[in-house]
Amino acid sequence: MALQEIWNGTVSFSLVAIPVKLVRAVEPGRVSFRLLHSKDYSPLARRMYCPEEEKMIPADEIIRGYEIAPDNYVVITDKELESVSPERSRTIEIIEFIDMKDVPPVYYDHPYYLVPSKGGEKAYCLLVEVMNQTNKGGIAKFVLRDREYLVAVKSTDGALTLITLHYSGEILPDEDIAPKTGKIDPGEKGRMKKIIKGMTADFDPDKYTNERSKKIMELLERKAKEKGTVEAPEFEEEEGEGPVDLVAVLEESMRQVKKHR
Amino acid sequence: MEVAGKRLSLSNLRKDIYPSYGFTKAHVLEYYRRISNFILPHLKDRALTLKRYPDGTEKDFFFEKRCPEHRPPWVKTAEVLHNEERMTVCLVNDLETLIWVENLASLELHVPLARAGSPETPDSIVFDLDPGDQANILDCAMVALILRDLLSQMRLASYAKTSGKKGLHVYVPLNRKEATFEDTKRFSKVVAEVLQRNYPDLVTAKMAKESRIKKVFINWSQNDSSKTMICVYSLRAREKPSVSFPLVWEELDMLAKQGDPEKLLIMHSEAVSRLETKGDLFQELLTKKQKITI
Repeated sequence: MALQEIWNGTVSFSLVAIPVKLVRAVEPGRVSFRLLHSKDYSPLARRMYCPEEEKMIPADEIIRGYEIAPDNYVVITDKELESVSPERSRTIEIIEFIDMKDVPPVYYDHPYYLVPSKGGEKAYCLLVEVMNQTNKGGIAKFVLRDREYLVAVKSTDGALTLITLHYSGEILPDEDIAPKTGKIDPGEKGRMKKIIKGMTADFDPDKYTNERSKKIMELLERKAKEKGTVEAPEFEEEEGEGPVDLVAVLEESMRQVKKHR
Repeated sequence: MEVAGKRLSLSNLRKDIYPSYGFTKAHVLEYYRRISNFILPHLKDRALTLKRYPDGTEKDFFFEKRCPEHRPPWVKTAEVLHNEERMTVCLVNDLETLIWVENLASLELHVPLARAGSPETPDSIVFDLDPGDQANILDCAMVALILRDLLSQMRLASYAKTSGKKGLHVYVPLNRKEATFEDTKRFSKVVAEVLQRNYPDLVTAKMAKESRIKKVFINWSQNDSSKTMICVYSLRAREKPSVSFPLVWEELDMLAKQGDPEKLLIMHSEAVSRLETKGDLFQELLTKKQKITI
């Protein structure tokens, strides 16, 4: 399967430069639905609506505003936004290597795979192997689509993964969450440890499936088979619905054309 | 290499893009370079949809509406709203951008009927004639000729090009600020329905596959700000490097009478030699002002 390339460039540090492509690592398994008009099954479109004028607003009349107080905005143009956007870059420059165990899972945002580009295979495999052995990951800053991301480059089974990380300012504190209840009874602690030990297994994600998605898909297949599907009417509208004048003019022209053909 | 003073690195020049025809990336780039003066006015200021064939026409392709992130700084872009989402699109306004886009193996260049600066103002109407099962491009030619007569009866000049695949496209230039997709869609739909009523065995205005058997489907719904058409002079990704190419009505009439559908397929080499001798037959499309009565 050819995964669509999101970005290409190089992973680099010290004197190493590995040409890579960035591709998606996950595809959400959510079943998504189209919204339809119940009367004729037309797929519905989203439009921008101005409640003040009670009408739809065309694209060229839409601008951005930052709500600084209720109903009070700072208007900003695309140009201005662009002026503060980071410069696009072709490198993922690793700043430092850290122990991946030290990164709390709450920092993980979104995973991607890095695929070696032509000529980069050897260095790529070397980095995968060494990072695997040492469980080290590279921390880098990386610009994708007008945004600068903090990312970790780490090795998974035979491939490099790039995970965008949250900035520390985005992480909500977890202090004060666990209530202070004083002493923990050593007996209870031992019992719980035992229970957990008894339930310990290797992580095997294949054991679990998204039951809801599966049930929805089964339901859809059954319905499609039993009740059939409905079709959008886009091209099925009634004939001769056009403006009477235009139809009359065209029919008259058609008669003239046929006379001369 | 350098194109118009801009640095560009070209890649995989020897890669077979049309493998069974021996047409490589280098051939593709050379084709677009030679016809660039003719195609550029038709691409100018239009939001390009790239249709990329990184491993040739026999392998996977993908559409790209967003201008690739790794574009050179001199590539002109525009911001457009597509399905409510703002996105940056490429504008192919010069030779260097055309070569860059082709280096990405975007064989097919698809553009909207409106320019990026006025995305709701179509500068032409299109009738996309698409043969159903058991119909072919000769049937399309017949419908196109009837359509030309009907339009000319309404004092509208029209221009035809091959799709480069199985169909034909008939364009009516408007080039008026007042034009709206709402009007052009309504107009083209009524025209399609009148043709269907008068030639029920030849024409259908309905998209459903079964109503298209042995008939030509007039796809009027292309007259929409969200739709794109293959640009005139663009290569098509088939087995052979064919081109979407204009035909004057007299030639189309003659070819329809000869009855050989193959003759309605213009290949890359013929496209170049025709352009170099006859020039841009679609020039009027960009300048001729016409008004439709709705």
